[in-house]
Amino acid sequence: MTELITIPGRWEFDYTYFAGEAASRFFGELKDSRRIMGVRCPSCKRVLVPARSFCDVCFQRTEEWVEVGPEGVVETFTILTAAFAGMPKPPVVIAYVTFDGADTALLNVLTGLDLSNISDAAHRLQARPRVRASFVDEPQGRITDFTFTLL
Amino acid sequence: MAVADTPVYVEGIALNIGWHDATKDLSELIFDTVTLALEDADQSIDAVDSVVLAAHDLVDGRSLSSMVTAPAAGAYLREEIRFSDDAAGALVGAMTKLESGRARRSVVAAWGRSSEYNYDQFSQTLFDPIYGRPIGLNEFVLSAMRAQLYLATDHHKEQRTRASLRRDEAARANPRALKSGGYQSAAPYPLVAADLPLWADVAVALILSVEPAPIRVIGAGQSSEPYALGDRNLRALQGLQLAAGRAMTQAGTTGAQLDVVEVDGLTLIDEAMGLESIGFAAAGHGLEQLADDPRCNPSGGGAAGYCPPAMGLVRIVESILQLRGEAGVNQVAGARRAMATGSSTVAGQTHTAIVVEAA
Repeated sequence: MTELITIPGRWEFDYTYFAGEAASRFFGELKDSRRIMGVRCPSCKRVLVPARSFCDVCFQRTEEWVEVGPEGVVETFTILTAAFAGMPKPPVVIAYVTFDGADTALLNVLTGLDLSNISDAAHRLQARPRVRASFVDEPQGRITDFTFTLL
Repeated sequence: MAVADTPVYVEGIALNIGWHDATKDLSELIFDTVTLALEDADQSIDAVDSVVLAAHDLVDGRSLSSMVTAPAAGAYLREEIRFSDDAAGALVGAMTKLESGRARRSVVAAWGRSSEYNYDQFSQTLFDPIYGRPIGLNEFVLSAMRAQLYLATDHHKEQRTRASLRRDEAARANPRALKSGGYQSAAPYPLVAADLPLWADVAVALILSVEPAPIRVIGAGQSSEPYALGDRNLRALQGLQLAAGRAMTQAGTTGAQLDVVEVDGLTLIDEAMGLESIGFAAAGHGLEQLADDPRCNPSGGGAAGYCPPAMGLVRIVESILQLRGEAGVNQVAGARRAMATGSSTVAGQTHTAIVVEAA
């Protein structure tokens, strides 16, 4: 009888991702000015957040930068009650928020909500509460520079 | 899209859903499945002049995986297309080859082996490294947020329970479903375990031909949504709606004329939303339809075994089995016309819909 073997494998590579001018400016605004920036599409006129160099719906370049927020409204959310690799220790709330003045939603962690009772917390979020971008003490120019907190 | 002048038929199919079979390496699993499809078509590999594959390097854990796996699918000295997205799109690629006259018979094959990789790790790599990955997203986080929007009303509670029970019953009765092994990921709120797919090892193959055969592909449609998730309406699957509309226009059919639908979705809620998007359920009634209508996902959907990027082709094969009267206990009596869909990561950005008919 042939012994059936398995061979362990693991991939671990390093990459250097070019964020590009638009994302670099977006993150620079987070770091230096603690501002959330979008761009207005010249065709559909929507304010797209995070700022990007083109509108993929209209296939048009974008050049007009617009500050949005820092307050907005929760569109939808999830609560992670189990540990996921790469995530903060559960429970964690992830939410889509449309900042005031924006037409698209931005995704990030929502903090400051009492999660001792998940149903109660969910009930509160289902009301689509208003939130504010709260920045970390020392922004690094990353999406993790801020979280959403309930007003 | 104009109706193609060259009819395309399905000559053979094969579907293998299993778990942790150490007697076969990946290429052997593919070879066995494609061989079964050729036998079902009563054809030899010599009669094949095209091979279209759907596979993903990170699922396979093999860089340039088609170089390892394509020969196992019969690609040696044949024209090959590698499709790194849901496999229903690979079938469209093969159709294009046949309709253009570049080929007369094509293998379409797809696979994914959940027992060889960690889905949760894989899923995190799918997100863009600038905005998404630093937050630690995975596919279920997005499906959960979509479900949160969908389940916002209380009247879904009872329907969700019934739809889940019926899906499990259908999967248990499906002779091709995974019967032991597999696993489920953790469910972020508001998803629960019963909503989630059962990770499995899946290999699926289909033989397409311009030679007349009992099953004909009469419609195909595709569509892509914006990449940025915050730009999408997560309460709707606009891309699937458009893809299904294009497929039905080409097929000259309406949703009401379909006897069977097999809708791909990562979760039960995604399947319900898919049914609504293709027009087979009224808005807000997808779960009710899944619970009560035996024509909807008679295979058991994601509960029967799941692994990207093969699932669109699995849904197509299950539809064809219905048209051939070979679906087993879950057979829909008199099924003559069916639609199957496939949706890609991330969060169903791209969609393919296929309409097949008993010729």
